[in-house]
Amino acid sequence: MIYRELQRNVWGGVSILFKVVNNFEVEENQETKYTDSRAPRKGQSHSQGDGHLIELRDLVKVYKTPAGDFPALNGINLKVGRGEFLAVLGKSGAGKSTLINMITCIDSPTSGEVIVNGAAVHKLNEDQKARWRGENLGVVFQFFQLLPSLNLIENVTIPMDFRNTYPLGERKERALHLLEQVGIAEHAYKTPAKISGGQQQRVAIARALANDPPLVVADEPTGNLDSRTAGEIFDLFSALVDQGTTVLVVSHDKEVANRATRMVEITDGEIKTH
Amino acid sequence: MALHTRWSKIFKDMWSYRSRSLLVIFSIAIGVAAVGMINNAGRIIQRDLYGTFTAGNPAVLEIYVSPFQKDLAKAVQGMREIESAQARRVESASVLGRKDHWEDVGLNVLPDFNAVHVNQYNLQNGVSVPGTREILLERQSADKLGLAVGDEVTIEMADERRYTLTVAGIVHDVYVMPFALLGEATGYISMDTLEWLGEAPYFNRLDIVVTGNKFDKDHVLTVGNLARDRVIEPSGYKVFRIGIPGIGSDPGEHWAQSQIKGFLLILQIMGILAIFLSGGLVINTVSAILAQQIKQIGIMRSVGAVRHQISGMYLINVLVFSALGLLIAIPLGLLGSWGLVNFAANFLNFDVGQIDLSLKVLSLQLALGLLMPVGVVLIPVFAGTRISVYNAIYQNGLGGEKEGGWIEELLSKFRNLSPPVMLSLRNTFRKKARLAFTIVTLTLAGAMFIAVFSTRASLTKQINDIGRYIAYDAALSIPGGANKRTVEREALRIPGVSLAEGWANAVAVIERVDGSQSAEVDLVGLPGDTATIDPLLLDGTWLIAGQPQQVVVNDDLLDEEADIRVGSEIVLKVGESKRTYQVVGVLSKHLSGPRIYMDYNAFGKLTGRQNQVDVVRVLANPGSTSSSAQQELIAQQLEERFQNAKLSTSAASTRHAFFEKFTDVFDIILIVLLIMAVVLAIVGGLGLTGTMGMNVFERTREIGVLRAVGASNLAVRSVVVVEGVVVALISWALGAFLSGPSGRALAGAVINAVLKADLSYKYSVSGLFIWLGIVVLIGVLSSLVPAQNAARLRVREVLDYE
Repeated sequence: MIYRELQRNVWGGVSILFKVVNNFEVEENQETKYTDSRAPRKGQSHSQGDGHLIELRDLVKVYKTPAGDFPALNGINLKVGRGEFLAVLGKSGAGKSTLINMITCIDSPTSGEVIVNGAAVHKLNEDQKARWRGENLGVVFQFFQLLPSLNLIENVTIPMDFRNTYPLGERKERALHLLEQVGIAEHAYKTPAKISGGQQQRVAIARALANDPPLVVADEPTGNLDSRTAGEIFDLFSALVDQGTTVLVVSHDKEVANRATRMVEITDGEIKTH
Repeated sequence: MALHTRWSKIFKDMWSYRSRSLLVIFSIAIGVAAVGMINNAGRIIQRDLYGTFTAGNPAVLEIYVSPFQKDLAKAVQGMREIESAQARRVESASVLGRKDHWEDVGLNVLPDFNAVHVNQYNLQNGVSVPGTREILLERQSADKLGLAVGDEVTIEMADERRYTLTVAGIVHDVYVMPFALLGEATGYISMDTLEWLGEAPYFNRLDIVVTGNKFDKDHVLTVGNLARDRVIEPSGYKVFRIGIPGIGSDPGEHWAQSQIKGFLLILQIMGILAIFLSGGLVINTVSAILAQQIKQIGIMRSVGAVRHQISGMYLINVLVFSALGLLIAIPLGLLGSWGLVNFAANFLNFDVGQIDLSLKVLSLQLALGLLMPVGVVLIPVFAGTRISVYNAIYQNGLGGEKEGGWIEELLSKFRNLSPPVMLSLRNTFRKKARLAFTIVTLTLAGAMFIAVFSTRASLTKQINDIGRYIAYDAALSIPGGANKRTVEREALRIPGVSLAEGWANAVAVIERVDGSQSAEVDLVGLPGDTATIDPLLLDGTWLIAGQPQQVVVNDDLLDEEADIRVGSEIVLKVGESKRTYQVVGVLSKHLSGPRIYMDYNAFGKLTGRQNQVDVVRVLANPGSTSSSAQQELIAQQLEERFQNAKLSTSAASTRHAFFEKFTDVFDIILIVLLIMAVVLAIVGGLGLTGTMGMNVFERTREIGVLRAVGASNLAVRSVVVVEGVVVALISWALGAFLSGPSGRALAGAVINAVLKADLSYKYSVSGLFIWLGIVVLIGVLSSLVPAQNAARLRVREVLDYE
């Protein structure tokens, strides 16, 4: 049921914010396959999300290890509004990455609920999660995770390709535009190995924006970068927030706190609100 | 044209890993090409050889009759069970060929060359009807003798008179055994010419085509017996033999059909094996690609790819490999079939038409080339793409493997080995499924390789066993026979010859207890203390001098007459003469058909041909045979002396020539088999190369750790190379184990196909050790490049590895 509801949302909407954020010339009446996720839509459950983009309810994650059960998250409750820039801070092993993996559906909770953009994503199966992620979420990893054999444009177009969100002939143009936005268009035809780490992270951000998601989640996005480059990456996130995208960044870098509109700290799997 | 990015990824990945892509493409190509080659060659041989054979109305029955006139053929053809009957005279003579060397020739006389209606030959050059003092030559005979239309040819008849004939035409006759195989030329002359050659004008053979089922052996033989009982014998003629043409063939089949069928079947099995190994290699490589790209799969899923899209990508990838493999396999298979068919055509004397590819063979190749690789990778692809994003991105890498099982337990007991060697041994068993595939591939290749060598050893043993029956330097047949003492005295006058034995031949039948008679059996009379035969006794003893009532039979006779055994009494009948003998020994088969050996004097009493011999066998040194050159010299002198003494004009044969003839035939067959074994070895080697490459790739971090703790280039290389060699050695041991039964099966099939004889098996120990050398070499070579790549890694690169 949830899957069908998501399908209706995904395939039925017309993105208005898409034009705002990306300055794309899209006809008002053109049917697009990407998600109009910035505003509530027909069929979308307000009661589940209560108007928030992200809502975590009593979230628990326990890892089973040879040494015994390890509780990574202990009953997390968190709401994130649309257009927020949320920083999740914490020491190594505090549970930051586990939390982000719950929101991005990369991992499943032991108990509790994860409602993102109106969908109870913890109930989805792997394929439903993949579809949902491709259309609602952009993920930025610490180690960039670009596909080594593809050039930068192709790395950005591949999410569109899998979710078939833009006409085939327009994808390259959109990818170039996104690479311009992150300031790396001149390297568009290079492969990831031929650019620096900071440049790769910019490409990863462009890829995260490929399907125009309402939410971008970044896991230690500057963990592998020098401080100047890290600052530039945070500038990009700030710009996205200014354009209406919700950004959630996990980091142990205090610098992110200065950029975020809100900050939560995780210690031993529990949230301390600031 | 815009291309979906995921397809672009496939092509870029293929290009990035060119050697691995080529590995899969070639492994598909080799298997599919082998199957295409064998099936297409079989089809063309079927079309061109069997087509020509069937088109000429082949005789399904040959009846050898006492001299008759052509009216008998008409009378036989009048039977409603018989469609056609053609009279033929077959007469032996000698023909002067190249280098003034005399060759045996079979002269065929037909009643009407304008109306040949059974075993029709095709005119190649000149005229198809020979006039008086003219001869037509079979094309392979003409070629080997160096004769063309218009040339004069010298023929010598049994009475040593020589005649000069003109070659009027060259014909192609698929019904006679080719000169290259039989060592006897074939010519066609008119009855007038035969009379001019001093021979009486009569026919001695009927070539029969029956009505009804021509392919039913029982039916055909029944019709032959009917013809004998109803027409031939009531007309006053005697039937000597009723038989099916060919070497153990069924009626209506080309004389070599069962051998060709057997040989193609062996190749077919090897082709299927090649496909099987290719399949294993494809599974191994694609599994390795999936293992290597597991993180990429996670990334693609994280950006929205669903499972069927990723599975589709890898299946399309395999399809592209398959398509490229087919691009190589189809022309390669066609080229192979061209080679195989031309080899067969030269050997069996038939014309090859167009070398084309039938839709059926093409479909088979397409089906195998496309469906096999995709089919075999379905499970690994679906299993490999099932992984969750979390596991793909965060759980993939160092330390992600399960704890070891019993093999690791066992290895832990070896405490005196150096750490790098121990690491190599442990690495070998880390990816057990991959190791299993690699070992299975190499093991099968090894088993087949050794089996080919065992087949060679078995064939050699078989020929050596047969060779024990021709333990002479040279032998000469004396058509019509001659006095024993004269013959042996003449032979002993040849310088260097110290032993000469005259042997006599006859045809006998065994009269059974119930009064019925056996088929005709060769009867050989020889000195009781013969030194030119070293019989291989299966049971009982050899003839004892001074015991004239004893006979020794061969195993072929026991196939026909199951009741005979050592100690049995048998009644032999030659003409009207009949005597009882005791069987004292059973000999091995030696390509002679059913045969009985008896003392020369007893033979004389039974046949009434006292003091007459038909063959002389000579030896320079009793107890051992001479060199080939010496044998040739003795043979030449034997021919000259017997010609001068007006005893025989036949060509002498040597023991060496006998071996050479068989060795030539077998070597060609073995080369074809060896090529297939090498193909299998290449596929096995490619498998190991792929596995080692993947192993090194997956252990990049581990190698970095080794380097970080001070491992030298040599140490890193050694760890990889030793692992390759260990895999090779395991496969060798298993291959050695499997090569026993596989070698026996292959050798049995080849010997049965080629010789129509039972197996005389010999395991090739040299093959076992040659394969050991090859497989160790494969192990080293296939791990050298991955080892070099591993040694090139720097600690910093490894830290960057993500």
